[in-house]
Amino acid sequence: MTIQQVFFLAVAAITLFAAVMVVSTRRIMHAALWLILALFGVAVSFALLETGFFAVVQVVVYIGAIAILIIFAVMLTRQVFLDVGPQLNRGWWIPAVLVAGLYAALVGVLSTWSGFQTQAAALPEAASDLSQFGLALVDVNAYAVPFEVASVLLLGALVGAIFVASDRKGVER
Amino acid sequence: METPAFTPAMFLAVLPELGLLVLAGLVLFADILLRRRRERDLGLLTFGGLLLVAGLTLVFSRPNLVPELVFGGMLRMDWATYVFRLVFLIGAAISVLFTMDSDRRIRGGAFYLLVIVSTLGMNLMAASADLIMLYLAIETTSIPLYVLSGALVRDQKSTEAGIKYMLFGAFTSALMLYGFSLLYGFTGTTQMYALKDMFDTGAIPTAALVLVALLILIGFSFKISAVPFHFWAPDVYEGAPTPVAGYLSTASKAAGFAVLLRFLAVVFPDLYPSWLLVAILAVSSMIAGNVLAMTQKNIKRLLAYSSIAQAGYMLIGVAAGTELGYTSSIFYLISYLVTNLAAFGIVVIVGRTVGSDEIASYAGLSRRSPGLALALMVALLSLGGVPPFAGFIGKLFVFAAAVQADMIWLALVGIVNAVFALYYYLVVLKVVWLNRSENEEEKIPVTRPWALAVVVCVAGMLLLGTLFAPWYQWAMQAATAF
Amino acid sequence: MLIEYVPLIIITTLAVILAILVVILGALFGPRRPTARKSAPYESGMTPFGAAQRRITVRYYLVAMLFILFDVETIFFLPWAVAFRQLGLFGLIEMFIFIGVLIVGYIYAWKKGALEWE
Repeated sequence: MTIQQVFFLAVAAITLFAAVMVVSTRRIMHAALWLILALFGVAVSFALLETGFFAVVQVVVYIGAIAILIIFAVMLTRQVFLDVGPQLNRGWWIPAVLVAGLYAALVGVLSTWSGFQTQAAALPEAASDLSQFGLALVDVNAYAVPFEVASVLLLGALVGAIFVASDRKGVER
Repeated sequence: METPAFTPAMFLAVLPELGLLVLAGLVLFADILLRRRRERDLGLLTFGGLLLVAGLTLVFSRPNLVPELVFGGMLRMDWATYVFRLVFLIGAAISVLFTMDSDRRIRGGAFYLLVIVSTLGMNLMAASADLIMLYLAIETTSIPLYVLSGALVRDQKSTEAGIKYMLFGAFTSALMLYGFSLLYGFTGTTQMYALKDMFDTGAIPTAALVLVALLILIGFSFKISAVPFHFWAPDVYEGAPTPVAGYLSTASKAAGFAVLLRFLAVVFPDLYPSWLLVAILAVSSMIAGNVLAMTQKNIKRLLAYSSIAQAGYMLIGVAAGTELGYTSSIFYLISYLVTNLAAFGIVVIVGRTVGSDEIASYAGLSRRSPGLALALMVALLSLGGVPPFAGFIGKLFVFAAAVQADMIWLALVGIVNAVFALYYYLVVLKVVWLNRSENEEEKIPVTRPWALAVVVCVAGMLLLGTLFAPWYQWAMQAATAF
Repeated sequence: MLIEYVPLIIITTLAVILAILVVILGALFGPRRPTARKSAPYESGMTPFGAAQRRITVRYYLVAMLFILFDVETIFFLPWAVAFRQLGLFGLIEMFIFIGVLIVGYIYAWKKGALEWE
């Protein structure tokens, strides 16, 4: 194994562990903090894939903004910081079996695929050039439409947030 | 760098979306500028705008006979896109009419804006020919719908509906996205029309494709509320504001079908297990939907289960996988749109006066408002598949498609289901027409927008049920265009 | 290349080591004579009043949401700005549309009082 592979395995293990802690810890604030670690692990994975820009996006948007939003959301709730109920219901094994089956099937099937064994081709030099990304983003024959739609989606989310969160005592029926 | 080729054809290709974007801006500014008492005008503006956009689309965005990919393969201009866009725009316009005089809490500009944004997303869903574009379109549709379902912020049931819809939606779209990512991993392209050629090289194991198809179908099944991915539907329809429930059960479902049809027809046409999966979905949806509908006491829950069953009938046409099958599904969708919008619209109108959605509170409706009772009868009979209404022709074509595709068993299951389903529709009609109530003197007021919407829907049901040839022609052109 | 990240790893490691070292050194060599006042969470700050875990107003949520949206917008700006010279007028127009849509939302938020803090 190369150093890179060892590094990747360590990062993956940390990410997965943090992700499991997010859903299993009883303290909701701790869950939010574990989530940040998991998101950071994903950012490192992006860096390992040589997509530095996405690593930065991951840190700036997910850790910098969304994690903050989640922490605010926790603080909005009625002080239910500690979950005391049972964490599993009686049917917990059904999805567990389903998911395990799906995972086994995916791994089994992927291992029969020829692309699974081959070494990934090295990225071209231009791929790490941010200006290529910028060019593709506004090129009408590439990603111009998704780019503009993203702004519409953000507009919808913004107005939706105002709609849900604005205090409408005066408009009560 | 030379100026990129932005041709007029490209402009026309996104004309409906541009129109909706302009309308969204107008609604927001009007909401800021108008005084609070003028909320009704916002509804009128939205309705008029949607109609105008639909008209512009009808005239200017008519595709050529030869389908073409535009914007570097992001969108595809073909008859399927065209017909579905009109369906969404008209569905949204009618939903806005029903919203206008309903609950005060949901009539603000923000509400209409969310409807417009989600309609824009649906338009793009129907047009998408690229996985990235498709995913973005699905999210643009869904996120406003999550908020709309929870629009009655201080109502527990509505909030629950919003949260439930969002959690289910996020979960299934994660699975679907995983399927998309595997497709990209296998083929190295996100262009839907290039995927099949890559499959045909045989480098990708079929088992892998079946798994991918399964993951993606889960995402689409959620959108069309097919069993077993229907659990959200009754709770969300019950809790959401009624006009939103109507919009969810028609336009949103149609959008799901638009994507499902294109995906199956374009990406997985040769993958037999995926068609089998669709047939299984169809059977389970019909049976579960109809059986569960029988015991419902709340009309919105009854309509929710009925709409699950209706998705099952439409899936029969999809499962047939033939030209006739697609045609019948699209025709069924159009007829279902006007029918179910009418049904939910009447629930809006009655609920506004009666203050309850229990079926028992519909007693004496035939005396309190004969017109509404008549419209409800037309809608429920059409849902049940009784001639001469739209639902009958829809079912006829769907079953014919199954028979033609040598799936007689599927047609039989459908017919048996249709007969049983008639029972619970008739139970509601019995309450409406035969049961008496104490306050029969109190009339149910029907405002002008409501009356217009109901009349349009009833006329649509009659038109689709009798003079169906032109609409069938449209459905066929859409079905052959994928 | 991944080699670019080596300084980042070095500085992160150093920061972590330093942080742990300072705490350990303080614990080992520092004198310890606790009084009630010294044991309070922030000796130099205000005396705490009320519980730390109280509910905050929903306005924080709106602010955080606005922050996310404009954060995402900034992210889109970056690659666009890098390629700006090659994009010409058309790229500028497209960016204006992108910003315009968000500005409309921003004006709406402003006028609806989402940014006000009574």
